[in-house]
Amino acid sequence: MNAMAEAPALELKGITKRYDAQTVVDRVDLRVHRNATVALVGESGSGKTTTGLMALRLIEPSDGRILLGGEDVTKLSQKDLRPFRRRMQVVFQDSYASLDPMMTLGEIIAEPLSIHGIGTRDERGDEARRWLSKVGLDGSYATRYPHELSGGQRQRVSVARALILGPSVLVADEPTSALDVSVKAQIVNLLQDLQADMGLSMLFISHDLSVVRSLADEVVVMLRGRVVERGPTERIFTHAHHPYTRSLLDAVPVIDPKARRRRSFLSAAEISAATPRLRPADIEPQPLVDTADPQLVALAGSHFVEAIVSERG
Amino acid sequence: MLSFIIRRTLSMLATFIVVSIVIFLMMHSIPGGPFDGYDMPLPDNIKARLMADLGLDKPLWEQYLRYMWGVFRLDFGVPYQSPGETVMGLIAHAWVPSLVLGGLGVLIGAPLGILLGMAAALKRNSWIDYVASTIATLGLTIPVFVISTLLILVFAVWLKWTPASGWGEPRRWILPIAAYAAVPMATYARYARSAMLDTLNKPFVTVLRAKGLSERRIVFQHVLRNSAIPMITIFLPMFVGIATGSIFVEKIFRVPGLGAYFVSSIEKRDYPLEMALMLLISALFCISYLVSDILYALLNPRIRLGGKDQ
Repeated sequence: MNAMAEAPALELKGITKRYDAQTVVDRVDLRVHRNATVALVGESGSGKTTTGLMALRLIEPSDGRILLGGEDVTKLSQKDLRPFRRRMQVVFQDSYASLDPMMTLGEIIAEPLSIHGIGTRDERGDEARRWLSKVGLDGSYATRYPHELSGGQRQRVSVARALILGPSVLVADEPTSALDVSVKAQIVNLLQDLQADMGLSMLFISHDLSVVRSLADEVVVMLRGRVVERGPTERIFTHAHHPYTRSLLDAVPVIDPKARRRRSFLSAAEISAATPRLRPADIEPQPLVDTADPQLVALAGSHFVEAIVSERG
Repeated sequence: MLSFIIRRTLSMLATFIVVSIVIFLMMHSIPGGPFDGYDMPLPDNIKARLMADLGLDKPLWEQYLRYMWGVFRLDFGVPYQSPGETVMGLIAHAWVPSLVLGGLGVLIGAPLGILLGMAAALKRNSWIDYVASTIATLGLTIPVFVISTLLILVFAVWLKWTPASGWGEPRRWILPIAAYAAVPMATYARYARSAMLDTLNKPFVTVLRAKGLSERRIVFQHVLRNSAIPMITIFLPMFVGIATGSIFVEKIFRVPGLGAYFVSSIEKRDYPLEMALMLLISALFCISYLVSDILYALLNPRIRLGGKDQ
């Protein structure tokens, strides 16, 4: 294997977005390997959507780098970026507003092909119908309009449109948040199936931890623009270290009333006060600075948490 | 669709009848009659004969039915203030200047406004956005008689570029057309800006950017199409409103148009002319709204397919 093949499908290095004096996303590192799913979780306003949009170069980062399959696309002009656009796609939460209401579903799904000048009109139409059936909709839907579909069906159309170009990276920004529970499961299954088929890498942005648990390989928790904890999904769900992560987990609804946990959602001040304090001995050895500012430090098994590290503990 | 058009046509007829009754009653409830002028008082017996000749001595309901029977046969009678011609003839020749000046005003103002609004939406919060918003606000808030007077002052009196009054050779049309264009331009600038911004902020536009579609194509292939519907549907009512002449513009620019007759026919209790004018306007508005609604349905797939919303 050469170096290119080993490079993660998507990598963000120290990506930062500042609006005037406010830092919305603060030095976030992310790595999505081929065929893997990374979940970006956090409350609204935590900067997770901005991070996703920066990965797609739909918002220009103030700082940091974006690598797509090992190639730096941070500074490419929109024109030079076009070939890369085929490799990264997006699905949004609002399935209705994501589809041009004036176009038929066939036109919507085929449009990416025509944007990139692929195939003849007829071939594009055939491909669109093929993708309709791939996402579980009848080919006859090609002549229908978005308003004739349910939310789940529309989200399938969004998925088909995103994947018709055969991208390597899919940014899914809360794709299931507006859907019913049963429909949600269908969309999650669809994404999993297609991911396995296509070797897709996914950046899955969500605050829905039950979906994250079934879909993601790695979980990255964001709070006010910063990564406060990251780690393999199961480890995060069983050994969350940061109080904010724990309060997110506590907020997941539990159906069994006997098992219902005490809700302990923390305020910003409480979280700051509760930032974990670790001694150097608690963490994996790596060059660290003894500082009063919180920093992301490694615990066991590629599990990282933002903590204040000092000898005083 | 057909049943929609039939239903709308029936409701249009109902509107027409209600409007005709209301206007008829209002006209006749104004004290005085057509022959009560102070400049040339008529002897009572002559006045009574004239009233009898015109059927004005009959009970109101009979007058109304007679009038509507005439309307039904497209006979709108003779204007009292100009007995040498028919109401239809008077409207036909008086409408030409209003239609030409007002119509051109809309046809010029609306596209200018759309361009202005588009530029403002695409360069949001830039100087062009502020200029466009200022123009739109001024156009809608400054009364047309102030705009007309300012136009005359600047272009006719100070700069001496154009004549100050507005009918005759086309050079004279410029200022009244400009005065008429202000409201459509301002209205369209506001509509275009908000409709464009609304569409530009939709996720599907972000998806198109993510697909690599150029900004220019996004605007022309998707955003314009989605923003066009409200702009198309306000066009006809606006056209009717302006192309029937403004009392102020026609008075200030001394245009022999329809606008002045709205006032004079009330002043002179010229029942047949006032009725005809009001009925004409209401019919035109009804038709323009009907056509707008049909257009809206044809342009909008959500309605076109019978609203099968789930």
